[in-house]
Amino acid sequence: MDWRCFAHALAFAVCGVLAVPAADAAPDYPPVLPGATLRFPADGGAHPDYRTEWWYVTGWITDDRGVERGFQVTFFRVRTGIGEDNPSRFAPRQLVLAHAAIADPAVGRLLHAERSERELEPLAGAETGATGVWIRDWQLAWGQDHYRSRVDAGSFAFDLRFDPSGPPVLNGDKGFSQKAPDPKHASHYYSRPQLVVSGSLRVDGNTVPVKGRAWLDHEWSSELLPEGARGWDWIGINLHDGGSLMAFRMRDERGGSMWSAGTLRAAGGAVRALQREQVALTPQRRWRSPRTGAEYAVEWVIDIDGRRLELRPLMDDQELDSRRSTGAVYWEGAVRLFESGREIGRGYLEMTGYAERLRM
Amino acid sequence: MSRVLGRIFIASLARRRLATALSLFAIALGVALGLAVQIIHAAALDEFGRGMRLLAGEADLQVAGSREGFDDALYGPLAMREEVADASPVVELEVRLPSHGRSLPLFGIDALRAAHVHPALMPQATEPGREGAALAWLQPDALFLSPAAQAELGVAVGDRLDVVAAARVVSLHVAGGVPGARQGRALAVMDIAAAQQLFGRVGRITRIDLSLKEGLDVAAARDALAAGLPPGVEVLTPSAAEELAAGLSRAYRVNLTMLATIALVTGGFLVFSTQFLAVARRRQEFAFLRALGLDRGSLMRGLLVEGAVVGLAGGLLGIVLGHGIAVVAFAVAGGDLGAGYFSALSPALRFDPVASGAYLLLGVLAGLAGAWQPAREAWHMLPALALKSGDEAAMFRFRAHPRSASACLAGAAALCLLPSLGGVPVFGYLAVALILVGAVLVLPILVRGFARIASLLRRPLWRLANARLAAAPGQGVVAGAGVVASVALAVAMAIMVASFRDSVDRWLTAVLPADLYVSASPQGTSGFLDPAVLGRIAALPGVSRTMPLRFDTLRLDDRRLPVVLIARPLDGGKLLPLVGLATPPAAGEMPAWVSEAMADLFAVATGDALVLPLGGKSVTFRVAGVWRDYARQQGAVAIELADYRAVTGDLVANDVGVLLAEGASFDTVAAAVRDIVGENTVRIASPGEIRARSLAIFDRTFLVTYAMEAVAVLIGLFGVSTSFAVLAIARRKEFGMLRHLGMTRREVGRLITLEGVLTAAAGTALGLAAGTAIAVVLIEVVNRQSFHWSMDLTLPIGGLLAFAVTVIALAGIAARVSGYQAMRGTAVMAVREDW
Amino acid sequence: MLEIDDLSKGLGAAVARVLFEGLSLCVRRGECVAVMGESGVGKSTLLNCIAGLEPVDGGSIRLDGTELVGLDDDALAGLRRRSFGFVFQAFHILPHLDVAQNVALPLWLLDADDVEADRRARAMLERVGLLDRAGAWPRELSGGELQRVAIARALVHRPSLVLADEPTGNLDPGRAAGVLDLLLECIRDAGAMGILVTHSRAAALRADRILRLTTGGLAPDGERT
Repeated sequence: MDWRCFAHALAFAVCGVLAVPAADAAPDYPPVLPGATLRFPADGGAHPDYRTEWWYVTGWITDDRGVERGFQVTFFRVRTGIGEDNPSRFAPRQLVLAHAAIADPAVGRLLHAERSERELEPLAGAETGATGVWIRDWQLAWGQDHYRSRVDAGSFAFDLRFDPSGPPVLNGDKGFSQKAPDPKHASHYYSRPQLVVSGSLRVDGNTVPVKGRAWLDHEWSSELLPEGARGWDWIGINLHDGGSLMAFRMRDERGGSMWSAGTLRAAGGAVRALQREQVALTPQRRWRSPRTGAEYAVEWVIDIDGRRLELRPLMDDQELDSRRSTGAVYWEGAVRLFESGREIGRGYLEMTGYAERLRM
Repeated sequence: MSRVLGRIFIASLARRRLATALSLFAIALGVALGLAVQIIHAAALDEFGRGMRLLAGEADLQVAGSREGFDDALYGPLAMREEVADASPVVELEVRLPSHGRSLPLFGIDALRAAHVHPALMPQATEPGREGAALAWLQPDALFLSPAAQAELGVAVGDRLDVVAAARVVSLHVAGGVPGARQGRALAVMDIAAAQQLFGRVGRITRIDLSLKEGLDVAAARDALAAGLPPGVEVLTPSAAEELAAGLSRAYRVNLTMLATIALVTGGFLVFSTQFLAVARRRQEFAFLRALGLDRGSLMRGLLVEGAVVGLAGGLLGIVLGHGIAVVAFAVAGGDLGAGYFSALSPALRFDPVASGAYLLLGVLAGLAGAWQPAREAWHMLPALALKSGDEAAMFRFRAHPRSASACLAGAAALCLLPSLGGVPVFGYLAVALILVGAVLVLPILVRGFARIASLLRRPLWRLANARLAAAPGQGVVAGAGVVASVALAVAMAIMVASFRDSVDRWLTAVLPADLYVSASPQGTSGFLDPAVLGRIAALPGVSRTMPLRFDTLRLDDRRLPVVLIARPLDGGKLLPLVGLATPPAAGEMPAWVSEAMADLFAVATGDALVLPLGGKSVTFRVAGVWRDYARQQGAVAIELADYRAVTGDLVANDVGVLLAEGASFDTVAAAVRDIVGENTVRIASPGEIRARSLAIFDRTFLVTYAMEAVAVLIGLFGVSTSFAVLAIARRKEFGMLRHLGMTRREVGRLITLEGVLTAAAGTALGLAAGTAIAVVLIEVVNRQSFHWSMDLTLPIGGLLAFAVTVIALAGIAARVSGYQAMRGTAVMAVREDW
Repeated sequence: MLEIDDLSKGLGAAVARVLFEGLSLCVRRGECVAVMGESGVGKSTLLNCIAGLEPVDGGSIRLDGTELVGLDDDALAGLRRRSFGFVFQAFHILPHLDVAQNVALPLWLLDADDVEADRRARAMLERVGLLDRAGAWPRELSGGELQRVAIARALVHRPSLVLADEPTGNLDPGRAAGVLDLLLECIRDAGAMGILVTHSRAAALRADRILRLTTGGLAPDGERT
């Protein structure tokens, strides 16, 4: 996955009026170069020098009565380049933003909430050294051998523990993930698939114990959306055999694919980076949002190095429409992956840039 | 019976159109003035409250400290408290705009937080086409202006705007608007961090707005949150903050309302005069109606309805006039009637049904009250006697009430000793009312006394006048009551305003000891002089001494507005206009001098210990004296600058007073100061200019008072002329008889004039005395209790005498003119007086 | 029927002076009685006492069986409204009401409906020969006309007793006779009672009976009988 979250982050922050600091004020963001070695847990923490960074957890959870739901919690960090010389504790050098959603078929659409803050002890921050990011009582943190995330959005809340069942999966070239033909458009990117979920979920005022499987992405970069790109489509799937699949494509103005890549981890732990020509995402059935009028492909055919897979959603309406609060509109939802009519995995699909171009 | 009411009583009003119109107009004026004051203040307060609510947004509580703010480290822990759902830090500043010659409220906010707590302050970057310039609201030079500010300043999005920061001019980029700001509110918003850095306030904020988690008890949460705060920082509910601010102007508002009420009372007196005379004249008619079977209850009701109808019509006219006055006053003097309480507000005027209804009722009550005594008189009338003519003379056989008069005056004196009720000097106003009533009760005695003096002159005219006034002192009361009331009111206001102005003038001289003032923030807080600048000014040739001034506010408790802190060299209190005894504090104690308002409000006296929250610490001072302060109604405390600096470590100054060396020129030094600090960042003024400006503001404030005074005198003169007109017509037969006895027309005219002058002289003399007494009550009780300041009594004797002579002369002319009309048949027909 | 028994009335408090004592009088329906007497003997006071406008010191006054002495002011006012008619020497025509309204005034006081009041006032004006002046203002009328208006007003509400105090005192003798005849005629036609106070013998002679008021009471006038 990729620029999508950065775009969201800024979208949350500036209510849809999206842009980056003026060029003359831009600080020296370190470039993302191939060959860097990622170390853990240190690289699970924040990289505050880079322009943008996110921790992104999605997954499927089942409660004690067998009801299946999708969840998503994302923390973003943005180095604004503003106020770097300002001694004020409010100096907006770093922003922290968060986004949480529950996909519940009984509701028929997403429950979602956002938060955003400038980094300011003790309200919000992103720690270095290990994963630890929070906005007041919303948090995602690494402790010893597992992640924990707590979110209370009023209409829903969850407190989940994520136990990894394997080491981090480095995407691209050992964590160097190229996003466009020009290699300067790249990020440091690793995933934690097959996280074992346990904890509790509150919806409709009822707190229920839940179990499931989740996926964590952590990515940081200093570059913007490539020239000519309109949006992207991304999947992260925990395969039932214990493996995992990540794939994305960058879309141009005409909806064509201008770049794509992926990572396939086999059940045994062997990781294969999929090159541009080895990944193809092809839209199938479309669904039009009654709210925004945007049309999303809710079913896909995914060709991975000769294998033909089919993607189907938990429910059609997983569009996240926050125009009334922060303005971002995209589709972010729980999906099932099929091969030859048999479900081989579950995960999340993200489609951005359908309502309008993500402005940067 | 309603037909009888309509055709006998109310129709009678139409027959004496002139008198009715004048009474009606008097009531209309009273109602109009009162209502106008009410409407204007209601609108201003409403707007003010709306403004406060706009700024408070959805906040349940506000954490507030002094004007200079408090440590922003408080914000994080407070925001994380479990009671708190959302918290929003604010830096409030009044930022000076050098190129516009004005200032603008600026709010440094965290836009991410403000969205939850006060969405109305959310900035919106509306600048088109600057891709790559996002996060605009975080940029250190980005300023967002409300639509009203853009319009008033003539600045559009994309322009640059100069502001004064410290002693520098900084150019900011207008990056967008504040669309949520209410219509008419000029304000600016920028990022809190940028505001802190730009205006030298890093580490300090002025307010934290909190919204609480749902279902929490606000009072309990408030107490819990307040417990951990340092001294000088309080937790307030927004409504309490609003009330505190509104309370500041309440005394002024009540004062104006009281003046309007007195105008209304004068209108009631006028109704009394005309009704009384009408009843006297219609006595036979009433006797006849009684013979025909009209019961006395109906007769009295009919007469009361006459008064009520005048009151109602006057009230309705007054409502229209009042709204008109309010519109004009808004346009001319602003929402605070020039008093400076609500500057920078442009409230919208609306019809106020409640206030209008209340004032209409007051108008009707004034009419009823005026008609009450004559109606009682008619009730008591014996129809058998009244059927014979000449009986109306009985009505004028008023008895003097020396005992009631003394009781009233004694009561007034006693009321003056009582404290205010809720900050409103209710008993002071009651005392004023009692003095007025007492004066009217004394009037018959005085009229008779005047007539007796007149009778010493053994001339037939004087004797006749004496006989008439002695036999019918009621005539004097009827004609003179309005004069007493209006003259007393006018005199009282004249004395009070003169005393006030004189005291303010002397006070200004005392508080402006330097020769030249350099002001970095006359009204705002965005400018200041740092120690380097202060040092360079002190080192200028021609400067013998500098006196830096540091202003701040101190929040001593959560029930009252913050008091103003003034830190400057005071030379042990010698540079303050002290009242009463001053005691120098013992060695090692820091002295503080409190203003009269502070002494009253916080019950501190010379010698007391006074704990002031300075720099987040509680610091104990010793009250070394009380000083007079007309500028800060909420209270002020002055301390030595050296003490302030020692305690806080804050070395900057808002203003600096410069004493010139022998022979140094004001202009040379002023130019040298400008060289140091730049052209547009400070204001340089001589004490003379400041004094002139202050007195101009003072005069503007009292503009309304002057207007009311004029109206009161006008109403009083109406009273005299209508009374004499009606009396003269009533006495047509008598005048005719006198002419038969050989008096010339001119002599009769002189007789009427003489009676008028004697009556008016008695009324004016009494009005002068009563007015002086009322002035003393206003100065010593009403002002003291409303505004907590004392003043020295100044009698503008020359002006008062000229005024008295004018009133008497006008009364004489009014009597002469009405007498002349009475002797002309056609004139009688013209006013349609019957018989 | 008006029955006055043993009526007494004094004047003043300090120097009490007896006006009349033991005065008795009986007037029947359709009868007009003239009361004569010296100036100051109390003729007007007697009328005021009968009308309840002045208190009496003793005795009784019964109108159609109702005792008037001792009634309170409002009851007396009500009685005057319904059962009494007045004609004054000074007319007392209200200047701001037109002729018809002046006549209708007693009906207004009785809360009669406007149309009905106007109809009866006009009928009454026709009776006194002034229908053509119904809309005129009092100032446009002569003294004789004004007194005819007063007569119409005194009778418009069909009172049982009409009290007339020197009704022709302000009129020249020529007109006086006509006005007086009209008054008496109207009273008799209506079957009412009339008491006419006058010191004009010519006027008194037109009444059914003449009584002379002295301190002792009322005595039949010697010259007539």
